[in-house]
Amino acid sequence: MAIKDNIKPTRSELLELKKKIVLSQSGHKLLKMKRDGLIMEFFEIMDKAKNARAELMKSYGNATQKIAIARAVEGNVAVMSAAFALKEQPEINLESKNVMGVVVPKIESSGIMKHAHERGYGVIGTSSRIDEAAEAYERLVEQIIISAEIESAMKKLLDDIEKTKRRVNALEFKVIPELKDAEQFIKLRLEEMEREETFRLKKIKA
Amino acid sequence: MEIAIIGKSDFIVGFRLAGIRKTFDVKDDRELEDRVRQCMDDRDIGIIVLHADDLKKLPAGIQRAVDESVEPTFIAIGGKEESGLREKIRRAIGVDLWK
Repeated sequence: MAIKDNIKPTRSELLELKKKIVLSQSGHKLLKMKRDGLIMEFFEIMDKAKNARAELMKSYGNATQKIAIARAVEGNVAVMSAAFALKEQPEINLESKNVMGVVVPKIESSGIMKHAHERGYGVIGTSSRIDEAAEAYERLVEQIIISAEIESAMKKLLDDIEKTKRRVNALEFKVIPELKDAEQFIKLRLEEMEREETFRLKKIKA
Repeated sequence: MEIAIIGKSDFIVGFRLAGIRKTFDVKDDRELEDRVRQCMDDRDIGIIVLHADDLKKLPAGIQRAVDESVEPTFIAIGGKEESGLREKIRRAIGVDLWK
């Protein structure tokens, strides 16, 4: 009722209102399309996210197993010393990608998978079990990066879907009905004024 | 940007082996909470990896922040995570689509 209380029943106001209604209706249509598009995009990404999760779990299981073997056979100290000898560290780069007006991160990585001689610990001093564990973990890190990219994209998409949905609903159930109410009010009021006018004229004539 | 690992010593040793240097060894829940907060404020960290069990130990407020955070992105491994994401999907789409 907010709009209705604050308007004067004049013709120019009516024209103004009509323009506003047309504008909000086209906005509503566009936002609805955006919402549907986003949801479609989301469905696509969700499948990917599920797969990435499953892969991640598998890699993690594999990696923990490998390191458990390495620690059991080589002893904790050997594994630790190899781990602390590493110099190279993986770098990730965050870029952004635009999906229907939603900025989602795109993560590029470098220097994760390494050859045994690039790892930095002595090849002779350590055994192949440590190499295996390191490789399994490198794979896991790669998987983590993929998952991170997909999941953060998903989070952002979800946020935007929620926002767009709220806007669509606000337009559909609040803004447009209120504007239409106000339009109706002015129309009735103008008609009423016209009738009063003719009645008055008749009275003067009589 | 870098990857950070937060967890118990046996959780992080493997990641050290993969070359990640920002591995934080936490001994109790108090330290865990502080570390997570600290890493969230670190602009250099792009991805934070936690164990799912550790994630559950965090106070509810931080857990929510972890679920919402995009930069850095949190990844919980081991155990069944995805509950935060699931809740988010339910809220945005209206139905539970995950599985």
